[in-house]
Amino acid sequence: MAATGKVLVILGLCLLPILTSADTCLAPQIKSQTYSTPEAIVSTETVLIAEFTLTCKNSLKNINLYADVGGRLIPATKTSEVNKYQISITDDHKKLPAGRYDIRVFDEEGFALLRKAQRSGESTDSIKPLFVLNLNHSGIWNGPIVQTEFVAALAAILIWWLAYTARSKLLA
Amino acid sequence: MAGGKQNKLSREEELLLQDFSRNVSTKSSALFYGNALIVSAIPMWLFWRIHQMDLYQSAIVFILGTFISTYLVAYAYRNVKFILKHKIALKREDAVAKEMMKKLADDKKMTKKEKDERVLWKKNEVADYEATTFSIFYNNALYLVLLIVASFFLLKNFNPVVNYSFSVGSAAGLLALFSTSSKV
Amino acid sequence: MKKKKNPSTDIADDSQGIRWLRFGYVRPMKLWLAALLLTFGCFLPSFGEEETEARLLASKNVLNQYLVEGKDLTVEYKIYNVGSKVAFNVLLNDNSFPDSSFSIISGNLKVEWERIAPSSNVTHAVILKPLKSGYFNFTSAEISYLTAEDSRERILGYTSFPGEGGIVPQREFDRRFSPHVLDWFVFAFMTLPSLGIPFLLWYSSKSKYDQSKTKKN
Repeated sequence: MAATGKVLVILGLCLLPILTSADTCLAPQIKSQTYSTPEAIVSTETVLIAEFTLTCKNSLKNINLYADVGGRLIPATKTSEVNKYQISITDDHKKLPAGRYDIRVFDEEGFALLRKAQRSGESTDSIKPLFVLNLNHSGIWNGPIVQTEFVAALAAILIWWLAYTARSKLLA
Repeated sequence: MAGGKQNKLSREEELLLQDFSRNVSTKSSALFYGNALIVSAIPMWLFWRIHQMDLYQSAIVFILGTFISTYLVAYAYRNVKFILKHKIALKREDAVAKEMMKKLADDKKMTKKEKDERVLWKKNEVADYEATTFSIFYNNALYLVLLIVASFFLLKNFNPVVNYSFSVGSAAGLLALFSTSSKV
Repeated sequence: MKKKKNPSTDIADDSQGIRWLRFGYVRPMKLWLAALLLTFGCFLPSFGEEETEARLLASKNVLNQYLVEGKDLTVEYKIYNVGSKVAFNVLLNDNSFPDSSFSIISGNLKVEWERIAPSSNVTHAVILKPLKSGYFNFTSAEISYLTAEDSRERILGYTSFPGEGGIVPQREFDRRFSPHVLDWFVFAFMTLPSLGIPFLLWYSSKSKYDQSKTKKN
């Protein structure tokens, strides 16, 4: 009886990886689209959006995904299309400067490990994500540095001033 | 001087008279009005393109503004030219005289008086020419400055029609005003 | 009336207003107990709501400084779980942007979250492009969620609404904000003869008859 019990346990343990592998995405394929706020007029905060479609070899559908963007841990939003997700980040312009943002996407398991590491103060870099998305934020355009009217006015004043000095010389 | 020529003024006197009057010859007048018209018409481009004023809708305002501006600018041209002419004449006197004398030195037929007259006339002509061109240049420059500052900085937030009338009006008006001052 | 010695009915018939005194005087303990039970009973349901339910508050904001036809319009949704339990299967659906007036640049208007933890929030953003100018009333989006994983009843709610906004036509916006560099260059080009020709003519005359030249001779 004890022997069969032990065999069952060992069998169970052996089967466990196979059973759990059903939840992990194998060979993830990503098709992604990104957006970042182009100019200050359009938005008072910088918005970064990454949309992606995930295809798993083992045909998993709509699994829960989580993203780590520069220390921010956010769940990936599921859209009405199957396996299509969106990650949105909004923050002050100063807090999201121009540059390349690496979005590390984790599945349920990976995310649990990530949070554990974070809580215990360990570095989270060592935990391998399911995949990484790259988002290039080219920065916010705040408007032209100098107004053309200003330049035009300055040029006109300069010409007038030259004329004025010439006139003064003539009248002297 | 008036010796035997009571009815007809000598050329000298004629020139002197011309000097002291602000009247300009028709040729000069045409030149002035032509230039004034061109300069007054240029703001229309600015207002059409940058302030997005419709050409056809604001046609009346444009035409009116252009004509008033033309008149005032031409007035300013005349005044500035008058002020400058004498000073220029004084400055160019010697140089013109030298040049003319050199030119007429070998001409034995002319009397001294005639030569002097010619020199005087030449002096007048040079001074006139220089004063005219400089007046146009100076006034154009000032007009543009006043226009740009008024239209894009002072009246920026006003209705385009109001913007046009006041900036063109004030630019031309101030130009006329400054021209009447005899400040050195 | 005969005055009875029983203290409970001593003052009973004097006036109707103080008839309750009799009851209180006789069974103070029972009354006090009943009052206690009632007050405790009142709190019971509300305790339940605060401690065991998930509650979502959602806000919808338009993050634009100016709404311009043809330029991106940023809409931000923020959902806060102010309850103390997890909210399940949260659906956000925004039907307030008709296809004829707005096109989607980035993001999705119908999304869901599997779970939102208590005392946390999620952000969602959508980028739209207005196709028409004029006034547009930004109304609420719908949100629905389950308070428990196996709950059959969905709780419906609405986000806040940004209100009415005016979408400026592109022409007006350009007029105010575009740098008009080309127009200025053409202007400079047009003023060049007016300034250049008089200057050159004057300068040539000046240099010909300038005082310093006489010194050469």
